[in-house]
Amino acid sequence: MKKGATTTARISSAADDAQLIALAQAGNEQAFTVLVRRYEDVVFRFAFKVCRDRDKAEEAWQDTFVNVFRKLNQFDGKSKFSTWLYTIVTNNCLMKRRKRKLDDAIVPLELPDGFRDEPMQDSNGRPIQTIASWKETPLHSVMDTELRHTLDRAIEKLPYDYRIVFLLRDVEGNSAEETAKILHLSVPAVKSRLRRARVFLRERLNEYMTS
Amino acid sequence: MSAKKLKCREIAEHVCAELDEGMNSAKCRAIRRHLETCPNCASYLNSLKTTVKLYRAYPAPALSARRRKALFEVIRHSGKESAESRKKSQSKCG
Ligand SMILES: [Zn+2]
Repeated sequence: MKKGATTTARISSAADDAQLIALAQAGNEQAFTVLVRRYEDVVFRFAFKVCRDRDKAEEAWQDTFVNVFRKLNQFDGKSKFSTWLYTIVTNNCLMKRRKRKLDDAIVPLELPDGFRDEPMQDSNGRPIQTIASWKETPLHSVMDTELRHTLDRAIEKLPYDYRIVFLLRDVEGNSAEETAKILHLSVPAVKSRLRRARVFLRERLNEYMTS
Repeated sequence: MSAKKLKCREIAEHVCAELDEGMNSAKCRAIRRHLETCPNCASYLNSLKTTVKLYRAYPAPALSARRRKALFEVIRHSGKESAESRKKSQSKCG
């Protein structure tokens, strides 16, 4: 790395990704540090949710930024930097995982039994509800141990290929196209896995959320 | 879509696929009308939305300071290494 670039000017933390990447590609260490700072939490939280293990997530996190450092010159700016980053961290998480039997399972699209073709009606012609409503859950209730365990158990049972799609798309907020790019899948394949993942998780939370 | 009467199962599959996209398209008007009058499909849609909301809110721990330090040590080290290997290869050529 060239020494001069780091000392000439302080890099604003408001600099956009493209500026930081260009500087870091030219060997500016400070620009690289700002880039790490900007994405370190996103990458770690995601790795933790995928790996479901703190140590593995930290290793995957470190490997990811080492890869970014070494391969930054290969980033061509055609996709978003975050998309490139998710691709690297996803691969690193994949390498850390111990493959389980259930990861080969295909998740069916299971709708709850309460669905009929049309809602049943009472004697006054009013529809009868056969799909129970979920109880109100303010977001801070995610801190409740019981709910967290329910969420943990459900997502741990979700086969890895579906879990990763759910996390990238619904939790991280990547678009279907970005998710497809990260996982080298077609957009319809992403959508199909996402639907199945949502239904799978919903079914496993249902008992807790209606009791 | 308007001529055919929509069945709950179709609605359920559709709202599941399009949880956050396309629900405002013209094609979805029939579905939205159905949702207004069908307690089952409305309840199902809400439960799917809540599922996503809960996993989004699920807290993850913070990265340890030790790990952050370790990253920059590895990077500094690998930076030196590549500089040295560049020097070596240059001196070999020369
Ligand atoms: Zn319905």
